[in-house]
Amino acid sequence: MKVLEVQGVTKRFGGLVAVNQVSLEVNEGEIFSVIGPNGAGKTTFFNLLTGIYTPDEGRILFLGQDITGSTPDKAAKLGIGRTFQNIRLFGAMTVLENILVGRHIHTRVPYLHALLRTPLARKEERKALEEALSLLEYVGLLHRKDELARNLPYGEQRKLEIARALALKPKLLLLDEPAAGMNPKETEALQEFILKIRSERGLTILLIEHDMRLVMRISDRIAVLDYGSKIAEGKPEEVRKNPRVIEAYLGRGAAGGAA
Amino acid sequence: MSLLSLALSLVFLLLSFLAPNTLTAFLGLGALGVAAFARLEPRVRTLNLALLTLAFTLFLRSSGNTLGLIGLVGILVALTTLPRIPRGIRVALGLAILLLSVPIAGFANTFIFELGIQIGIFAAMSLGLNVVVGMAGLLDLGYAAFFAVGAYTWAIFGSPQAGKFLQGNFPLPGEYMYLFMLIAVVTTAITGLLIGLPALRLRGDYLAIVTLGLGEVVRILANNLDHPINITNGPQGITPVGRPPIDWFRSLMGALGVRLDETTDYQLFFYLLVLVMIGLVVLANVNLANSRFGRAWVAIREDEIAAQAMGIPLLPTKLIAFMTGAAFSGVMGVIYGAQRTFVSPESFTLLASITILAMVILGGMGSIPGAILGAAALTILNLDILKTFSEFVRTSLPWIPSQVDPAKYERLVFGLILILMMIYRPQGLIPEARHRAELEEEA
Ligand SMILES: Nc1ncnc2c1ncn2[C@@H]1O[C@H](COP(=O)(O)OP(=O)(O)OP(=O)(O)O)[C@@H](O)[C@H]1O
Ligand SMILES: [Mg+2]
Repeated sequence: MKVLEVQGVTKRFGGLVAVNQVSLEVNEGEIFSVIGPNGAGKTTFFNLLTGIYTPDEGRILFLGQDITGSTPDKAAKLGIGRTFQNIRLFGAMTVLENILVGRHIHTRVPYLHALLRTPLARKEERKALEEALSLLEYVGLLHRKDELARNLPYGEQRKLEIARALALKPKLLLLDEPAAGMNPKETEALQEFILKIRSERGLTILLIEHDMRLVMRISDRIAVLDYGSKIAEGKPEEVRKNPRVIEAYLGRGAAGGAA
Repeated sequence: MSLLSLALSLVFLLLSFLAPNTLTAFLGLGALGVAAFARLEPRVRTLNLALLTLAFTLFLRSSGNTLGLIGLVGILVALTTLPRIPRGIRVALGLAILLLSVPIAGFANTFIFELGIQIGIFAAMSLGLNVVVGMAGLLDLGYAAFFAVGAYTWAIFGSPQAGKFLQGNFPLPGEYMYLFMLIAVVTTAITGLLIGLPALRLRGDYLAIVTLGLGEVVRILANNLDHPINITNGPQGITPVGRPPIDWFRSLMGALGVRLDETTDYQLFFYLLVLVMIGLVVLANVNLANSRFGRAWVAIREDEIAAQAMGIPLLPTKLIAFMTGAAFSGVMGVIYGAQRTFVSPESFTLLASITILAMVILGGMGSIPGAILGAAALTILNLDILKTFSEFVRTSLPWIPSQVDPAKYERLVFGLILILMMIYRPQGLIPEARHRAELEEEA
C-alpha cells in the first residue's frame, strides 16, 4: 500500500525554486531516505508534506487522501509525525509534559470537562499519563521525566523529540537529520532505535540524513535532491553507484568530510 | 536564630496590645521577614507564623492601620510558598486570616474591607489574564475591555438605564445579579471571540498593539453610546447599579453572632463573595493548567510550529485562552459594578489593562499564587501605601514642596518598581513552578 504519493510538487521562494517538480511514492513500512547537498530543498520538502508550506504546483496524497495545502495540525491529526532539523522541544516544559502534548489529539476532554475536572477528564488524564510514562520507558527516558526538556543533553533531546512525535501515534514519521551532531556510537544506537520503532510500531519512515553510513545501512530506498530537483531514486546500492549522485553529492560529501 | 525570631514575634504581639502604632507595624513586618527568610526549623517557623497571625489581627483590631493588612498578606504568601509547613496548618491559618482576621480588621476600619474587595477583584482578573499572557503567551493590552463589558452587562439592566432604550420594568431586582454573573460570562466570552478572531492571527508586538486598540474601542464605545440611543449613559456613567438583597446574609451573620451595621453588611458580603469567586477562579485555573488545554497553551507559548506539529490548531486554541480570560474578567466586572453601585468608562482605561498586566508580571508569569500576590501588592501600593506616604510627607515633612508629593507620582513609583523587578527578579515574585525548577538548577 502507498502511504505517501507526491506528484510533481514545486515550491518557490521568490525567484528560488526550492523544490522542483518532485514526485515520489513511499510504501507502507518502508524507510525512505531523502538526501542531497545543503540547500537542496529537503527540509522544504518536509515542510510541504506537513502543511507548513503550500506547494505552488502538484499534489500530495497521504493514504490516498489529498492533503495538498492542509495545515500542520491537520497533517498531524491525519497521522504525520515529525521532528525538526533544529530541535524544537517545548523547552520550559518537562520531559513528561512534552510527551503529553505529543498525545494532545488522543486526550479527548471537552473544554467544560477540563474546566470542572469531571470524572471523564480525570479518567482521560490518567490514561494519558500512563501512556506517556510507558512511552518514556520504551524510549529509555523515564528517569528524566521531571526534568525540563531544555536541560537534557543533546542526544536525549533528539530522542525526546522522536518520542514526542511517536506519542502522536503517527502512521508516517518524518525525521529531519536525527543523527546530526551525534558521534558514531550514538548514531549506531539511533540506527537500532529507528529500526526498532519501525517494526514495533508499524511505522513508515521518511528520513533526511547527511550521515551516508547510516543512510546506506538503514534505507529501503533513497531519493536524491539537488537544487530542488530529484536527480535519482532507488535502492541504496543503485544510488551509491549513480554517476549523477556522485557528481552532485556523494563525491563532494566525502571530500567535505561528512561524518 | 529560632529564639530571636520567636522573641521578635512575641514582642510584636505584646506591643500590638500596648502601642498599636505605625512603628509597631514595622516591627511586625520585620518579625515576619525574619520568620519567613531566616533558617528556622519548620516547626518553629510554623509556630511563628501562627503567632504573627494572631498579633497582626490584634494589631488591626485595635488600630485599623492598613500596614497590618500587608502583614496578613505576607503571612498568606509565606503559607502558600514556604516548604515543609504541615498542610493542615497552611489551610487552617490561611482560612483564619481570610475569614476572621480580615473581617475583624474591616470592622475596625472599613477601608480594609474596601482594600480586600479591590484586591480580590483584581486578583481574580489577574488570574484570568494569567491564562492569556502567562500560559498561552498572548500579550493582551486590552484586557480591561472585558472587565468593562462585564460591568456594563449588569449595570445597564441592574439600573434604570435599560429603561431608556427598552420596554419593560427596570431596574431588574437585585437578585438578578447572580444570573447576570453567568450572562456576563457569555457576553464577555463573545466579546473575546470578536476581538480575538482578528487579533489572534497576529503575533507578538502586533497582537499587543491590536488588542490595545480594540480595548480602547470598547471604552470609547462605552463613552459615546449615549446617543443616538442612550445605552451606556456616556461619560457620566451609570448609577445606582443594583445589589442583591442580603437579608438572608444578615440573619445568617446574626445567627453566627456577628453584628452588622448599614455600611459593613454589604462590605462583608461582597468581601466574602469575592473570596468565593477567587476560590472558583483558582480552581478553574488549576484544572485548566493540568489539562490538555493548559498544556496546549504553554506549548504554543514555547513554540508555535512544534505545537502545530502535535496537532494543536493555533487559532482555536488561542481563542479558547482568550475567551477564558475574558470570562473571568467579565464576572468580576459584574461584582465590581454592583459593589460600587457605579460604573463609568473611566475605570476601564489602558492604564487599567496595564495595571492588571503588571500584576501578572510582578507576581510571576504563569504562576497562580504569583498573580494573587501581584494583585495584592499593586492594589495596596496604589490605594494605600503611596497615599499614606504622601500624607506622612505632608504632615511630618512640611518643608518638602507639594510638587514632589509622592501621590502625584504614583505612576512613576509604579514604573520604577516594575523596572527594578525586571532587573533584579525578572521571573516575578513567585515564579511558575517550571521556572522555579530552572532557577534552582542555576543556583
Ligand atoms: N522560508 C524560506 N524563505 C526563503 N527561502 C527559503 C526558505 N526556506 C528555505 N529556503 C531556501 O530554500 C532552499 C532549500 O532549503 P532547505 O532548508 O529545504 O534545504 P535542505 O536541503 O534542508 O538543506 P540542509 O541540508 O542544509 O538542511 C535554500 O536555498 C534555502 O535558503
Ligand atoms: Mg534541512
